Amino acid sequence: MTEPIKRESAGNDGQEFGETTTAVTEASESGEGWTTDTAASRMTVGLPTRDRSELSGHLIVLEGTDGSGRSTQIALLTEWLESQGFAVQTMGLRRSFLIAKDIDSLLAKNSVTRYTLALMYATDFFDQLENRILPALRSGMIVLADRYYYTLIVRAAVRGLQHDYLHRIYDLALPPDLTFFLNVRPQISFEREFQKSPAISFWEAGRDLHLSDDLYDSFISYQTMIRKEFVALAKHHGFTTLNGENPIRTVNADLRKQIASYLGIKNIKYRPSHALVHLWQ
Amino acid sequence: MDTPGVTIEAVPTPEEKRSKQPARPYSGALVVVEGIDGSGKSTQLHLLKRWLEVGGYRTYFTEWNSSPLVKSATRRGKKRHLLTPVTFSLIHAADFADRYERQILPLLRSGHLVLADRYIYTAFARDGARGCPVDWLRNLYQYAVVPDVTFYFRAPLEVAIRRILSGRPRLKYYEAGMDLGLSLDPVESFTKFQGLTLARYDQMVQTDNFVLMDGTLPVHQLQQKMRDVVGGHIELKRFKNSG
Repeated sequence: MTEPIKRESAGNDGQEFGETTTAVTEASESGEGWTTDTAASRMTVGLPTRDRSELSGHLIVLEGTDGSGRSTQIALLTEWLESQGFAVQTMGLRRSFLIAKDIDSLLAKNSVTRYTLALMYATDFFDQLENRILPALRSGMIVLADRYYYTLIVRAAVRGLQHDYLHRIYDLALPPDLTFFLNVRPQISFEREFQKSPAISFWEAGRDLHLSDDLYDSFISYQTMIRKEFVALAKHHGFTTLNGENPIRTVNADLRKQIASYLGIKNIKYRPSHALVHLWQ
Repeated sequence: MDTPGVTIEAVPTPEEKRSKQPARPYSGALVVVEGIDGSGKSTQLHLLKRWLEVGGYRTYFTEWNSSPLVKSATRRGKKRHLLTPVTFSLIHAADFADRYERQILPLLRSGHLVLADRYIYTAFARDGARGCPVDWLRNLYQYAVVPDVTFYFRAPLEVAIRRILSGRPRLKYYEAGMDLGLSLDPVESFTKFQGLTLARYDQMVQTDNFVLMDGTLPVHQLQQKMRDVVGGHIELKRFKNSG
């Protein structure tokens, strides 16, 4: 495993919260058997960004709107990195053991209010971060994130929550080592989403925002708002923006080039295995 | 990651535009009781509620952790001890937000006298005692209105502990702060955790304008003071039922 070359916004590392906190221990992360060593050492919280020196792995994030090709790229990158001998763990939103099911059922009912939804997503995010991502990074794995908290900020912001409020919630999150933004126009998103499933969903079209009764118009307006927020975030955080409308193999080559240079991989040649070759066409 | 305190340049949300307007966009009033378990706050709020109801005022009672919304997640997390201080705090914040947006705020907007058994200060005290940064917690609840009156019932730790332990001897894992590893013995852990929480409350007396109530005084004496303070702070006749 190579050493981290540079951590994005490393300036946050030394941020003090005016609290007596040290890194949380392995036992508390595992979710069971909170070991009871001395009281003083346990007066700590799992503040994920506190101590990064013990994180020997690397966190790589792919962000982008619906239909930007993130999942496809993650599948390809996973195969490529594993073929290069790196252990890979993936993460996505709404996959926590703790609360993912509850979010699903809330979304299905569409009776949830915006602060509540934002905070439930935050719970889901931190549950995964503390119980899956940090342990994986501690054991030296590459974590490929199919969306990260930036998506959660973007979605809540278009629903009227303050940017400052949202950013401060995620002050406790771990900044990625590399973040890519796959930029795609809403019309292209629509084409791709429609290929995936034969009907546009309520949430993809941002129907809760009552933008239009026409589902296509609603989808385009919503995805335009989302994209605008992403572009602002990408600029602010210095994401690497890639043209997600390029062919899959072109985008993948761009990603491999950047990741290879970050991880110190010499050979960036790659052809998908038989199982994934259909993604290449 | 952001430089703290710097807002990114993005489209201003309606909330951001609105935040420049004067506070208190509602005609109701909010009375809150806070304090550690066993401080006597719930009894006192119950008596206050009776007084207001009998007096014919539009009152509504709400309590912490009563929303069915995140119940299954909270139960799952608590039962299997999956919660970290951060997720414990966030799941309760989600629960509060649901109750706030769907219940408390609409009631305040429609001109009710809302009585809350615990409010955001419970999170500041309890999650702060768990180690969550105070600034982070304050931000989490930043949208919630400041109460008209916040009563802080303060009983010495021994008194509060004795009241709780005589009532229900079986302490739950998170309730006793067992997740902090203060002690393997639930009663000892509970006592230490309540002590830490109490210290957090004490710090807020000044910063958050708590009305300090001595939880060791007789019930009827405390209640009289409570009614005097409410009558002095809130123009009660605005809440009189017309019927």
